[in-house]
Amino acid sequence: MAIIERPSTPALAGSGAPAVVTPSQAYGVLKRPVSTTGWRSWVFTVDHKKLGIMYGVVAMFFFLVGGVEALLIRLQLAGPEGTVLSAGLYNEMFTMHATTMVFLFVMPMGAAFANYFIPLQIGARDVAFPRINAFGFWCFLVGGIFLNTSWFLGGAADGGWFMYQPNANALFSPSHGVDFWGLGLQITGIASLTGAVNLITTILNMRAPGMTLMKMPIFTWMSLVTQFLLLFAMPVITVALFLLMFQREFGATFFDVSAGADPLLWQHLFWIFGHPEVYIIVLPGFGIASEVLPVFSRKPLFGYRFVVFSGAAIGFVGWGVWAHHMFASGLGPVSVAVFSMATMLIAIPTGVKIVNWVLTMWGGKIWFTTAMLFIVGMIAQFTIGGLSGVTHAVAPSDTQQTDTYYIIAHFHYTIFGGAVMALFAGFYYWWPKMFGKLLSERLGKWNFWLMMIGVNLTFGPMHIIGLQGQPRRMMNWTEARAGEGFFNLGFWNRVASFGSLLITIGVILFLVNVWNTHKKSSTTPKAPLDPWDARSLEWITASPPKEHNFDAIPTVHALDEFFHRKYEVDHDTGEVRKIASAEEVLAAEEAKADKHIHLPSPSYWPIILAVSLPIMGYGVIFNRLLIAVGGVILLLAMFGWALEPSVADDSDYDPPVDGGGTSKELANIG
Amino acid sequence: MLGLTAASAAVLAGCAKDAPQDTWQPKGENAQKIHDLQWPVFLVAGIVGVIVLAAIGFVVIRYRDKGQPMPEQSHGKPALEIALTILPALILVGVGIPTASTIFDLADESDTECIINVTGQQWWWEYDYPAQDGCGGIAEPIVTSGQLVIPANTNVLLRLTSRDVIHSFWIPALNGKKDTVPGRVHTLRMQADQPGIYAGQCTEFCGLSHANMKMEAVALNPDDFQTWVGNQLEPYVSPEAGSQAALGEAAFTANCAYCHQVNGLSSTAPDGTVTPVLANPDQFVVSGAAPNLTHLMTRNTFAGATWDLLTDECRDRVWNASPEEFGALYLQGVTAECLNAVDLREWIRNAPAKKPMYASDAQKANSDGKVRGMPALGLNETQIDQIIAYLLERN
Amino acid sequence: MAMWMFLGSECLLFGGLISTYMLYRGRHPADLGPDQVFDIPFTSVSSFVLLMSSLTMVLAVSSAAQKDDRRTNLWLTVTALLGATFVGGQVYEFTSFYREGLGFTSSLFSSSFFTLTGFHGVHVTVGIIMLMALVGINKRGRIPGDKAEVVELVGLYWHFVDVVWIIIFTLVYLIPS
Repeated sequence: MAIIERPSTPALAGSGAPAVVTPSQAYGVLKRPVSTTGWRSWVFTVDHKKLGIMYGVVAMFFFLVGGVEALLIRLQLAGPEGTVLSAGLYNEMFTMHATTMVFLFVMPMGAAFANYFIPLQIGARDVAFPRINAFGFWCFLVGGIFLNTSWFLGGAADGGWFMYQPNANALFSPSHGVDFWGLGLQITGIASLTGAVNLITTILNMRAPGMTLMKMPIFTWMSLVTQFLLLFAMPVITVALFLLMFQREFGATFFDVSAGADPLLWQHLFWIFGHPEVYIIVLPGFGIASEVLPVFSRKPLFGYRFVVFSGAAIGFVGWGVWAHHMFASGLGPVSVAVFSMATMLIAIPTGVKIVNWVLTMWGGKIWFTTAMLFIVGMIAQFTIGGLSGVTHAVAPSDTQQTDTYYIIAHFHYTIFGGAVMALFAGFYYWWPKMFGKLLSERLGKWNFWLMMIGVNLTFGPMHIIGLQGQPRRMMNWTEARAGEGFFNLGFWNRVASFGSLLITIGVILFLVNVWNTHKKSSTTPKAPLDPWDARSLEWITASPPKEHNFDAIPTVHALDEFFHRKYEVDHDTGEVRKIASAEEVLAAEEAKADKHIHLPSPSYWPIILAVSLPIMGYGVIFNRLLIAVGGVILLLAMFGWALEPSVADDSDYDPPVDGGGTSKELANIG
Repeated sequence: MLGLTAASAAVLAGCAKDAPQDTWQPKGENAQKIHDLQWPVFLVAGIVGVIVLAAIGFVVIRYRDKGQPMPEQSHGKPALEIALTILPALILVGVGIPTASTIFDLADESDTECIINVTGQQWWWEYDYPAQDGCGGIAEPIVTSGQLVIPANTNVLLRLTSRDVIHSFWIPALNGKKDTVPGRVHTLRMQADQPGIYAGQCTEFCGLSHANMKMEAVALNPDDFQTWVGNQLEPYVSPEAGSQAALGEAAFTANCAYCHQVNGLSSTAPDGTVTPVLANPDQFVVSGAAPNLTHLMTRNTFAGATWDLLTDECRDRVWNASPEEFGALYLQGVTAECLNAVDLREWIRNAPAKKPMYASDAQKANSDGKVRGMPALGLNETQIDQIIAYLLERN
Repeated sequence: MAMWMFLGSECLLFGGLISTYMLYRGRHPADLGPDQVFDIPFTSVSSFVLLMSSLTMVLAVSSAAQKDDRRTNLWLTVTALLGATFVGGQVYEFTSFYREGLGFTSSLFSSSFFTLTGFHGVHVTVGIIMLMALVGINKRGRIPGDKAEVVELVGLYWHFVDVVWIIIFTLVYLIPS
C-alpha cells in the first residue's frame, strides 16, 4: 500500500492512532479544497484522470447537441422546399453544428483521451501542470456553454463555421451570434493552448525511465504531434478572432472593403489555422487506431517508425496546404498550382498509415471485439474519404466540387467515418481501464453496425448529390433542379436523411450501453484486469487506476512493454510463449511500491479564473461594466493562483479529530 | 460493401441525364478540360479504393481468429514500406503534371473574344456588357441580370466582382466556380459549344437567401446574339395612353423606380417639363444596386433567377429545345400567354415573404435604414395588375 | 520547457499581427500615415527603457541563482517599474496620436497599428503582473522547490517580449512605408 504523502500532521507525530484529518469545510482564501470524495473532489480536482473523464462527459453532451442540430438539417433537406427551419435558423443550425462538432466534441474528446491516457501510457503520475490542466478543462466548459447561450440571447452565429468576411460583419450578420462565436472560441482556444503546452511538456519530460521517444506508445506520439499543431495553430485563429471582435465591437475596419481592406486576409488567417485543425481532429483517432489494431491482431504495429514519421510528416506538410480551401477564391494560377501539389503530397503519409494498418492485421489473429470493428470500419471509410480528397487536390476538378455536397461527403468520411469511429473504438477499448467495467459487447456490435451503415447511407449519397451539382449551405433544394433517373437529388437526399436516423439509433444504443453498465454497478461484474490482452503501459496498473496511477513507476525496456512482460518471444522460431499473467505483472510492480508519493492538491483557482472569462465575454457583448468585473476576478484569481503552493499544507486541513468517528481518512490511499 | 458501392456510385454519377447542374456533363471547352482531367483521377482513385477495400476485406476474413497460434511478432519490413510509399508518390506525380498544365490553361486570358462584367450582390447577379468590338460588336453598354447571355462558340471572359459579401459564380456545364470578392476583380473563362441554356448557382455562402441566388447562362449563336444585343438597345416605348400599362407606368414610377432603373423612362411635370426618372438604389439598398428592368421580359427569370417568368410549359419548351431551334425560341422572350403571373404577383405583393431577405423595418435598423433585398411595398391588387401590365411591355 | 513552447506559440500570434499590419500599413489618408504621426525620438527613449529592463531582469535572475532574496526582489521591482514606464509611455503615445486625430477606427493603418502595439503592451502588462506576483511569492516564501527557476522562466518571457518589441519597433517605426 502506497502512502500519498501529505505534510506531517500533529496526529501522525502523536500517538500510534491512525492519522485522521478532515478537509477544511470552510472556503477561506487560503483554506484550499482537499476533498477526495463528493462533488468538491470533482470541481476542484487537478487529477488528470478526473479531468479526462469530465472532458469526455462534457464533449459527449455537446456531441448530442451537435447531433440534434445535424438531424434538424437532414430533416429540412429530406424533401424539396423544406420548411422545418426558416432560412435564418437553418444558417444558424449548420454554423453551430460544425462549430459544436469540431470545437466542442471531436477536439475535446481527443483531449479527454489525451488527458487520461498520456500520463498512464508514459508512466507518469500526473501531467506537468495539473492546475493548468484543470483550468483548461474549465475554459472549455465555460466557453462551450457561453457559445451555446447565444441561442437564447438573440440567435446563434449564422456565418458558417468558416465565418467568411465580410458576410460575418455586423452589417450583414447583425445578431450577437457571431460575437458569441468569436469570444466563445477564444475561451475554448485557451483550453487548447494550455493543454498543448502542458501535454507537450509532460510527454517530453515525464516519461518513465527507459522510455525513449521511439518506445513511446503510438497514441501518445500522435497526441504529441496534435499538441504541436494546436500550439502553433491556435495563435493564428486567436489573431483572426481578435480582429473580428475589434471589427464588430469596436468599429475597426480590418475586413471592411469600403475602407480598403481585403477580405481574403480573413480567409488566409482562418485556413492557416483551419487546415492544421483538420489534422488536430484526426490524429488522435489515428493514434487510437494504431493502439487498438495491434492488440486485437496480436501483432505489433506494422512499421511503427513509419507510422510515427508519417504522423510527424502530416504535421509538417499540414502547414503548407491551407490555400487548398481557397482554390476558387481567386488566387493566382501559380499559388493554386503550388498548393495543389502540396496537397497531393500530404496524401502520401496518409496512405502510408492506411497501408501500415492493413499490414498490421495481415498475418495476425484477429479478434473482432466492438473496438476492433470500429477501427476496421474506420480504415475503410477513411480510405474513401482520403481518395475523394485526392480528387479535389486536383485544383481544376476542385473548382467543380468545392462548396458542393461532394465536399461534405469527403470530410464526413474522414471526420465521422475516420476520427469519430476511432473515438468510439477508444470508448469500448479503454472503458474497462477507466471504470473497471466492460461495456456490453452485444449492444456494442449493434452500435457499430448501425453507425457503420448509417454513416455510409448518410454520407455516401452526398458524393452523388454533390457531383450532381447541389451546393452546400443551402436551406432547401428544388425539384426543378433535382433531375431525374437514378442519380436524382430527391431520392438520394431522402436516403441521406434516413441514414442519419440510423446513426442516431447507434448513438442512443451507446448511451444505453453506458447506462446499463453503470446503473446496476453492484451487479455488473468487475472487468478483468487485462480484458483485451493489451500491450502498452496503461494496463500495468489497477482498473480504474489509483489516484497516483502507479504504485511504482515502471521501468520500460521495449515498445509494447506490457506485452513483453507477459510473453516471451523465441527469436529463432518466432514462437510466442506466455510467461506471466497480467495479475502477476501487476503484483510484481506493486511489490516495488514507492513509499512516498507527492501528488498535487486540488485548487479552486482554476475554475474561478475560467469563470471570469465568459463574464468578460458577456461584458464585451452587452455591458462594458461586466468586463471590469470579470477583469477583477481574473486578476485576483491569477494572484491567488500564483501565491498558492502546488501541495496543500497543514493550514488547509481542519484540526485532526481524536479517534475520528465520522471524519474521513485522507492520508492513506491505495 | 456499402462504402464500395458509394465510391463506385460516385464514379458512375456522370451517367445521369437530367440534373441541370451535373458536374460530369461538360458543354463547353473549359468544363471539358476539367472533365478530361477529373475522370481519370476518379478512375484511378476508384481503382485504388477497390484494391484497398478488397485488401481489408481479405485480411479480416483470412486472418480472423480461428484458433491459430500467436502470430510472429514482426515489426515491419522497411523495403515493403518504402515501396508502398513510392508507389502512391508516382501515381500522384502522374496526376500532378496534367493538373498544373490545366490550371494554367484555365487561367489564360490571351484568347478572349468578348468581355462581360459580372457583379454579385445579395441575392442576385448583374451582368454588364461594356461597349466593345468583341462579342461581334456591342455599340452601347448593356445592363441585365439573372441570365447571362453569351455568344456560343466564343471565348468569353467574365470579370467578376461583388458589391457586398463574397459570392461565387458557377455554371457547372461551362466551367468551374470562381469567387466574386468585393474590392477585387477575378476573371473566369466561359465558352459554350452549342446554343442552349445552362443552370448555375451561387456557391459561396452569402447570407440569408444564399439558396435563392441562382443564375442561368444562355448561349446563342452569333447571329441570334446580335439580334439579342439589338433588342437590348431598343429605345424605350411608352405605353399607349390610357391603357392599363400606362397606369402601370405611373405606379412603377411612384413605387419601383427609386431602385429599379428603366432606361428611357421619364416623368412629365404639370408644366410640361420632361425629366428622366433615374433610380438611386444607393440610397435605399445596402449593396447599392437593384436589377435593371428596361428589358425584363427578354429574360426568363426574376428575383435572382429563383423563379421563372415563364409558365412551366413554356419553360420546358425553351429548356428542351434543340440547339438549332433554341435561339429563336429564346428571343421570343416572355409573351402574355407564357407569363408566369402567379409567382410574379406574389413577389410584387410581398417579396420578403416569398424569399427570405433583410427588408423589414426592424431589420433595416442595423444597416442605416437600408434594405437587403426587396421590401414589401404595400401595393394593392389593382396597382399590381397595372405594374404587371407595364412590365409585360418591357421587352 | 513549457515556457519555450508557449513562446513558440506567441511567435505565431505576433507573426499574424505583424502580417496584418504590413498588409495594411499603407492604407490610410494622406495626412495621417505612419510618417506623419510617429514621434521616433520619443519611442526610441521608451524602447531604450524597455531594453534596460531586460538588463535588470538578467540581474534579478542572477541574484535569484545566488539565493539572494533581497536583491532579487529589488531587481524584479526595478524591472517592473521600467516595464511600467514603457507602458506609460505607450499610453501617452496613444493619447497623443488620438489627439492628432488618429483613432483606432480612423483607417486600416491605425486599426492594425493599435492592435499590434496594443497587444504588445498587454504582454508587457502581463509581464509586470508576473513580476509583482514573483515579488509577492518571494516575500511570503511559500514556493517550495527551485525559486530561481521560476524567476528564470519569467525572465525568459520578459526577454521574449523585449525582442518582439525590437522587431515591432524596427518594422513599424523605423522602416519608412
